[in-house]
Amino acid sequence: MAFAPLDPVLHNQLRLAVVSLLVGVDKAEFNFILEKTGATRGNLSVQLTNLKDAGYIVVTKSFRDNYPLTTCKLTAKGVKAFETYVEAIKGYLKP
Amino acid sequence: MHTELTPNESLKLIESMIGQAKKSFSRISFYFLLWGALMIAAMLSTYLLRNTDPAWSNGIAWGVAGIVGGIVSFVYGARQSKSEIVTNPMDGIIGQVWISFVITLLIMILCGGLAHRDPGPMITLLTGIPTFLTGRILRFRPLIAGGVIFWVAGIAMHLTSDPMTLTVIYCGSMVFGYIIPGIMLKRQENGLRTA
Repeated sequence: MAFAPLDPVLHNQLRLAVVSLLVGVDKAEFNFILEKTGATRGNLSVQLTNLKDAGYIVVTKSFRDNYPLTTCKLTAKGVKAFETYVEAIKGYLKP
Repeated sequence: MHTELTPNESLKLIESMIGQAKKSFSRISFYFLLWGALMIAAMLSTYLLRNTDPAWSNGIAWGVAGIVGGIVSFVYGARQSKSEIVTNPMDGIIGQVWISFVITLLIMILCGGLAHRDPGPMITLLTGIPTFLTGRILRFRPLIAGGVIFWVAGIAMHLTSDPMTLTVIYCGSMVFGYIIPGIMLKRQENGLRTA
């Protein structure tokens, strides 16, 4: 049986962690994702940009109390990609 | 962070992150503590004012408690929503459960007033629903137990008309249904939750 190819955008530890986190919430701020993933600011910024470029998340930049605020939200395309990725992973784990 | 993942590692990572997201509820213990304290104060005031004239003044404490609680809850909620770093879809469901409770509560108070019946026992029964559901959604057993306590208290209140007994049952249900679960939830929020 041929294994389904894994989405290269999601088959990365940090990007997968971000998308898995966003699947369970409406939207999350940069600092929340930073805390939960344990990533560095620089690496997280790069991976968020990659996810945004792939159309998997929407990144909104605004201000709160004069401080920059970055909020991330999963798109429908991101949800679909995540579901497809999970199905593919299950195929790899079947005996 | 490593970038190469085995399928097993991927699955564990997904489970772990979804678990983190599930813990990201908003802080709601404040509302249980606030409303628990206000309702106990209103019930005690009603008991102490039970023989005053005119008769409508007996229940004035409920109106004051409702207005004070509503304003404080609104201000707290508005401030909290501004500072939240994550929004969980379950927060919205909990909010809708409590909004539906408040609407039913107001209708019951109005109908009770028109029919000259004390809506207290029915309201206590009704309070069990949102408390129980919030406990189920948060998977927080003290609130589930709190919901059951309100149901039991609501039944007990239907079986008596003695003002002292009613006051003791109602205040007891607020302590065990709102205050104690609220304190326990606050401890959990301080220790586990970030939102």
